[in-house]
Amino acid sequence: MRILRLLFFCIAAIPISAYGETPAANTVPLAPGYGDLGYTAPAAGSYNLPPLRNAADGAVLDEDGNSVRLHQFYGDKMVLLSFIYSSCNDINGCPLATAVLSRIKKHLDSDPQLADNLRLLSLSFDPAHDTPEVMKLYGRSFASGKSEWQFLTTESEQALAPILDDYSQSVITEYNEKGEVTGTISHILRVYLIDRERRVRNIYSVSFLHPDLLMNDVRTLLMESQGTLPAAEAAVAATSSAPALPGDYKKGYESGEYQTQSVSLDSRNGTQADLMQVLSTPPLGLPPVPVPANNPVTKEKVALGRKLFYDRRLSLNNTFSCAMCHIPEQGFTSNELARAVGIEGRTVRRNAPTVYNSAYLTRLFHDGREHNLEQQVWGPLLAKNEMGNPSFALVIDRIRNIADYQGLFEAAFDGKGPGMETIGQALASYERTLVSANSPFDRWYYGKDNEAMDRSAQRGFGLFQGKAKCTSCHTVTDKHALFTDNAMHNTGIGWHSAMQATPAKRRVQVAPGVYHDVDAKIISAVSERPPGDVGLYEVTQNPADRWKYRTSTLRNVALTAPYMHDGSMETLKDVVEFYNQGGLANENLDPLLVPLHLSPQEIDDLVAFMNALTGDNVDILVSDAFAAPVGDLRKQDPDWTHDNKGNF
Amino acid sequence: MKSKTFKQRIMAVAMVAAGVFAGGALLNTQAVADETCQSPYMAKIIGQEDYVYVWTLGIEGLGDGQDKLVTVSTNPKSEHYGKVVASLSVGGRNEAHHSGFTDDRRYLWAGGLDTNKIFIFDVHSKPGKPTLHKVITDFTAKSGGVVGPHTTYALPGRMIITGLSNNKDHGGRTAMVEYTNEGEFISTYWMPTDDNLRGAVKTGKYADGYGYDVRVLPRLNAMFTSSFTGWSNYMMDFGKMLGDPEAMKRFGNTATVWDLHTRKPKKVFDVPGAPLEIRCAWQPTNNYCFTTTALTSKIWLIYEDKDGEWQVSDVADIGDASKVPLPVDISISNDDSRLWVNTFMDGKTRLFDITDPHKPVQVFEEQIGTQVNMVSSSWDSTRLYYTTSLLGNWDKKGEENEQFLKLYHYEGGKLVKKFEVDFIEEKLGRAHQMRFGAYSLYASKPAKDADIQLSELR
Repeated sequence: MRILRLLFFCIAAIPISAYGETPAANTVPLAPGYGDLGYTAPAAGSYNLPPLRNAADGAVLDEDGNSVRLHQFYGDKMVLLSFIYSSCNDINGCPLATAVLSRIKKHLDSDPQLADNLRLLSLSFDPAHDTPEVMKLYGRSFASGKSEWQFLTTESEQALAPILDDYSQSVITEYNEKGEVTGTISHILRVYLIDRERRVRNIYSVSFLHPDLLMNDVRTLLMESQGTLPAAEAAVAATSSAPALPGDYKKGYESGEYQTQSVSLDSRNGTQADLMQVLSTPPLGLPPVPVPANNPVTKEKVALGRKLFYDRRLSLNNTFSCAMCHIPEQGFTSNELARAVGIEGRTVRRNAPTVYNSAYLTRLFHDGREHNLEQQVWGPLLAKNEMGNPSFALVIDRIRNIADYQGLFEAAFDGKGPGMETIGQALASYERTLVSANSPFDRWYYGKDNEAMDRSAQRGFGLFQGKAKCTSCHTVTDKHALFTDNAMHNTGIGWHSAMQATPAKRRVQVAPGVYHDVDAKIISAVSERPPGDVGLYEVTQNPADRWKYRTSTLRNVALTAPYMHDGSMETLKDVVEFYNQGGLANENLDPLLVPLHLSPQEIDDLVAFMNALTGDNVDILVSDAFAAPVGDLRKQDPDWTHDNKGNF
Repeated sequence: MKSKTFKQRIMAVAMVAAGVFAGGALLNTQAVADETCQSPYMAKIIGQEDYVYVWTLGIEGLGDGQDKLVTVSTNPKSEHYGKVVASLSVGGRNEAHHSGFTDDRRYLWAGGLDTNKIFIFDVHSKPGKPTLHKVITDFTAKSGGVVGPHTTYALPGRMIITGLSNNKDHGGRTAMVEYTNEGEFISTYWMPTDDNLRGAVKTGKYADGYGYDVRVLPRLNAMFTSSFTGWSNYMMDFGKMLGDPEAMKRFGNTATVWDLHTRKPKKVFDVPGAPLEIRCAWQPTNNYCFTTTALTSKIWLIYEDKDGEWQVSDVADIGDASKVPLPVDISISNDDSRLWVNTFMDGKTRLFDITDPHKPVQVFEEQIGTQVNMVSSSWDSTRLYYTTSLLGNWDKKGEENEQFLKLYHYEGGKLVKKFEVDFIEEKLGRAHQMRFGAYSLYASKPAKDADIQLSELR
């Protein structure tokens, strides 16, 4: 016993004598906990320590051998819990933990308020050797002062095991090559800071187990419990001043002078709007919203459609909603891609069209293959390269099994549940409310407000109707303007893409203002064979329909770049210049396209006019979209990994 | 009590100086081998690694088409040396990408950049046959919309995970997310943006809010992040993206230095051209990390200047930038003297002498295959493992789409190939990230293979 006592005294004394200086004979650099931290610890209260987990209970023995519960030491004070074993000889192992706790104890002894709020616990993970008597002896060196430091052990390894499991304190008893126990226990050094609610708030390891950090963490939790923790940095305004703009704004990226104007995603919050209003009161410039007789728009259907529209769980692998390609703040299309990308990154051949004013379209998709929204919505849901669902049944069953859809279909559709018809009708109902007009042009032209649109745009409209012949396809009437004839035209863009040779080099931007002309061979090596695209022909099989695409509306066109069916034009000026050349000559070029002989000023005026076609409610619609919940997979949703059972 | 050999002492010096956690004697003083790019909080492997775990992307139409964790025996004294000994399919093609161990190295967290699932493998119960312990499926929902769990990096008792994208626009703005080792969500830390720098200083023109990799220097209370691109770009066909001017505007141009303890950003730096992997120096007075920009083909140094302020500087070119060699994975040696840099497009590995970190000099290069992405080095830099896949839709197409794991020994200034596993021939998929496994970390009694390691060390 005498020998044991001496040994324990030596071990316990190592850290105390060591901290603040470096023992000359030691070849192992001491952990920071023995000396200076090396940097200034962040100020108490300047940060948060989110709860990590509940601190588990367990049966332990106190220094007198009494059976007690670990939780008896928790609750009235914060706790600093250290797992040690008394014969540990690694200077940066258990002795470090004990040294740091002893330094903290000195702090506590001189600060009664902190001492009232923090208890130190050292629990052995070597119950075979660390009996209560041994732990009492071990702790005797630290018994002075008023603060509290308990030295605990357990009845046996069996009693200890669940505690180690609960605290994820892995312990390996080391064996030598003969399979004999060496007496060394390998473990990760972990010290736990536990709050009064018995939650772990920090876990320390060798490199930052230091009194300065620890005490500031304790003070931070104390401030939190006293309600004196300073508020986190001021939250950004709930919505940016212009929610209709993309948060990842890239205007000017072509130049080396580009500067970011990025917006945080956690501030992307919005306000729910009364979407039904447009149905009773269409905005200036647009006719009443056409509503099919078999699907009258109701508030319930719109709300349900809105929920579906932003629900990523509607795709095969829970990654795609309608809104991933029709992004509200990007004109309900995508400003970030010329041609869309679908599930698993699969190539979509065409630019995602805007959903704004799709209520008025009589042909849907760029190739015009669908004629009403109710049917159209199933196209992307079932396309292998869009949302990837292999069947109607998968979509319907999934919605049926997602708890947050319970009862919603039945309430919106007179008792009908989710099905081919009702899913289409709900989504179509929401899309029908995304109506936008009363633009500067509308207020000027239909509202007779001379100041609503500037002079350049007014001149542009004159050209639009006259010399530039745009209204031949982008229809404007005396009462309203859809800016589309809902008809199919060949401009030569599709033909050019399909029939022309690949240039030997392609200019690729690699950073703001930095471009490389890259060999086509290099690009070809990483390129799939591009899928063909022959436009309306794919629907009719009529050679005369090759590379015909639907006329896009120009409403909100300033928000929907890049342009054309394949997103091949970055700016409206590019588009006007293209039409000024009369399109691209090919066998089926629409005869309406002829050289326009527009001057640069006339081109600018046309662009100014198109920039005046942005509806006055886009911020409201985008803000409403921001307020819609984004559906992502949760533990309660159907997925084989949740229960390892088939759910289909 | 056990005495320490000289070798053990040396390694202990290096590891503790670099901020490695210590614990009981085994993990601390016998830590002598592992790839050099792991979390400094992590347990290290003794001597020879027994296995390499290859996080592998399924290829539609090849084998079962699913992502899988492929275990290859790497101990030359094993009868299965250089062979696949286990393959664990996880369901779906999730865009398997990076993986990382918990600090106790009992579990391997492997992320799916597409489906946002994180697969947690038990690698300690049977190191030669990992099992699927848990799948985190609600990463995006829990994190408030983070998409693309990329780096899974061990902090004490928890994992910090960098995101690449978000569930609102599939663009590049994103966050880091912290979980407990048990797989419970703790917190989300959004990358600084112009409207909310979160206390950071924007030192240049950019604060894009993008993310990619994370590394730490605990002794300096510093954490570093880089920036890549969002879901739309990393998932789409590479050639399609290169031909899309709008898409090419959506790459990260920043690196950020954080306060490690508070998880708050301190400085945002301009590092144009998609800075990817970050590797921090190991030596106790080397206050710097390296990163490379994929698109602009440069090595960048993030360093503490004489006034204790963090700075960045581009310090070397990698190949001919106009040919878009695309630097991908990098690996630093434990003495901070050498940096391996792989370039995907030309399939080359390049060795830079970084003795002067401000003036890296290329001293060696060799083509590993038609394409190459990852490189994992043993702690002593003698063994280098290479894999091929970058991203499912970025890999080369047709005949050039080689998929393999190759082991080389770096001997006398040359790379000597020791074995190769053809992942196409084996019907496995695209070989991506490698992590090492060893019995010695977990065995309560040494297994046959572990006997070899322990006896080698003593």
